[in-house]
Formats: sequence, structure tokens, C-alpha cells
Amino acid sequence: MDNRQGGIQQLLAAEQEAQQIVNTARNEKMARLRQAKEEAQKEIAAYRSQIELDFQKKLAQSSGDSGANVKRLEQETEIKIENLKTEAARVSHDVVSMLLKQVTTAQAAAK
Amino acid sequence: MNDTDVSKQIQQMVRFIRQEAEEKANEISVSAEEEFNIEKLQLVEAEKKKIRQEYERKQKQVEVRKKIEYSMQLNASRIKVLQAQDDVVNSMKEAAAKELLKVSEDHHDYRKLLKNLVVQSLLRLKEPAVLLRCREDDVHHLEHVLDSAKEEYAEKANVHAPEIIIDTNIYLPPGPHHHHLFSFHHHNEHGPFCAGGIVMASRDGKIVCENTLDARLEVVFRKKLPEIRKQLCSQITA
Repeated sequence: MDNRQGGIQQLLAAEQEAQQIVNTARNEKMARLRQAKEEAQKEIAAYRSQIELDFQKKLAQSSGDSGANVKRLEQETEIKIENLKTEAARVSHDVVSMLLKQVTTAQAAAK
Repeated sequence: MNDTDVSKQIQQMVRFIRQEAEEKANEISVSAEEEFNIEKLQLVEAEKKKIRQEYERKQKQVEVRKKIEYSMQLNASRIKVLQAQDDVVNSMKEAAAKELLKVSEDHHDYRKLLKNLVVQSLLRLKEPAVLLRCREDDVHHLEHVLDSAKEEYAEKANVHAPEIIIDTNIYLPPGPHHHHLFSFHHHNEHGPFCAGGIVMASRDGKIVCENTLDARLEVVFRKKLPEIRKQLCSQITA
């Protein structure tokens, strides 16, 4: 009689233990899935910082380029204006003479 | 069955129960790993894609801004060049205007010019009676040439000699050196002045022909402006 009782106790204990083993596994699974979210966040944050870093580098480089472009443009403009003034000085006398001649020549033709 | 058999069976069952539980726990563990990997990968990839798109957008904005800035600078420099062209061309006109003031100093040639201007104005107006306005200093010049001017016009237009009355009430403003004499200002004249020439009007004053040297310069300048610009531009764009 005692053995039978003992036996049933053993079986019940085994069932309980079994349940615990499965529950533990289930809890660990849930913890693992939470970990997935946490680790994902970390990876994402690291990715974002890297991309941001690259972006800022590119930005700094391109603003350096634009600065150089602006300078080049300004220089080209100055050269154009200088050439213009030189050319103007060269032709000014002739232009003035031409204008005066036209003003002082009155073509008096009958219409 | 004896006790040892029963006890053996129970041990077997206990082991079996434990084994099943451990197998199940294992399954759960394996599936946990799989799901962990899938979940993490999905989350990371989804966010990475969003981040990439976000930065692509930012990059595009930067590029658009750069283009706009560059085009603004290009415009500004174009305007600068155009302004310089304008300045250069206008100073030529001013130089011409200055030279113009000397024209009336050569009395012989100036008189001839006045006569031609009178004839030209008469031919333009085609009126039998006209009013002539000139600078006070030029009246005596005109009085010398008026008759031959009338004759020349009459011949060219095949009409009777017209009646020309010089306006002695209102004169055209004098040349700038007058200002110099009568005012103590520096030689840059700021009042109105006239370099010479005439203004002619029909007797009723309705038709007017402006033939002052200043007005003529304006007309000639405007007419020749494209030519002058072309001459200048051909050098700077080359």
C-alpha cells in the first residue's frame, strides 16, 4: 500500500517538475524575444550614427566645394569686367567720335 | 506484479515524463532562437530602410539648396557684368556729351550746323509758319543763316519760303560755361543746360521737332547702342 502511494507521489512530483521545465523554457523564450527587440534597437542606433556621420562628412566636403565654386565664379566675373573696361577704353574714343559725327551731321533730305 | 516491477515501471514513467518535458523544452528553446533571429532581423532591416530613405531625402534637399544657391550666385554675377556694361556704355555717352559742349565753340562750323538743323527741321515739320527756339547766344548765328535756310528748304520741298519767327521770350538754357561764370559752384553744372541746336514748332505749337544737340545725342546713342554693345561683348565673351 505504501509503495502505491509513494509511486503516485513520484509521478505527481515528476509531472510538476516536467511542468516547471516547460515553463522555464517558455519564460526563457519570452526573454529571448525581448532581447531581440533590445538588440535590434542597439543595432539600429549604431547604424543611424554611422549614416549620420557619413552624411555630415559629405556635407562638409560639398560646402568646401561650393566655397571654391563661388570664388571661381567671382574671379571669372572680375576678369570679365576687367576685359570689358579695357575694351571700352580702347574703343571709347572711336565711339565718341562716331556719336559726335552723327550728331553734327544733319542730313537734310526731302521726304 | 511484485513491488520491484511496480517500482521499475514507475521509474520508467518518471523518466519518460522528464524526457518528454525536456524534449518539449528543447523545442521551445530552438524555436525561441529562430524567432529571435527573425524578429531581430526584421526589425533592423525595416528601420534601416527607413533611415536610408530619410537620409536620401536629406541629401536631395541639400543638393537642391546647393543648386539654388549656385544659380543665385550665377545670376548675381551676370547682373554685375550687365551693370558694368551699362556703366561703361553710359560713360561713353557722357564723354560724348562733354565733347558736344565744344561744338558751338567753332563758330564757323557751328553756324553751318545750325543752318542744316533748321533745314532738316523744316523738312520734318513741313509747315508754312514755324516758331524757332534757341539759346540766347545762338540768336546772332541764326539770324545769319535763316534766309539761306529758308531758301534751301523751299527748293528741296518745292514750296514757298516759310515764315520763321525766333522766340525771344523763351530761350533754351545756355551752355554750361555760363553757369561757371555766374555762379560760384564748381564746374559740374547741375542746372539744365543746352549744348546747342534748335527746337522748332508749328505756329500753333502742336507739332514740335527737337533738334538740340543734346536731343540728337540721345537719339543717336539709342540707335547705335546695340552696335556699341556688340562691339564690347564680342571681346568679353570670346
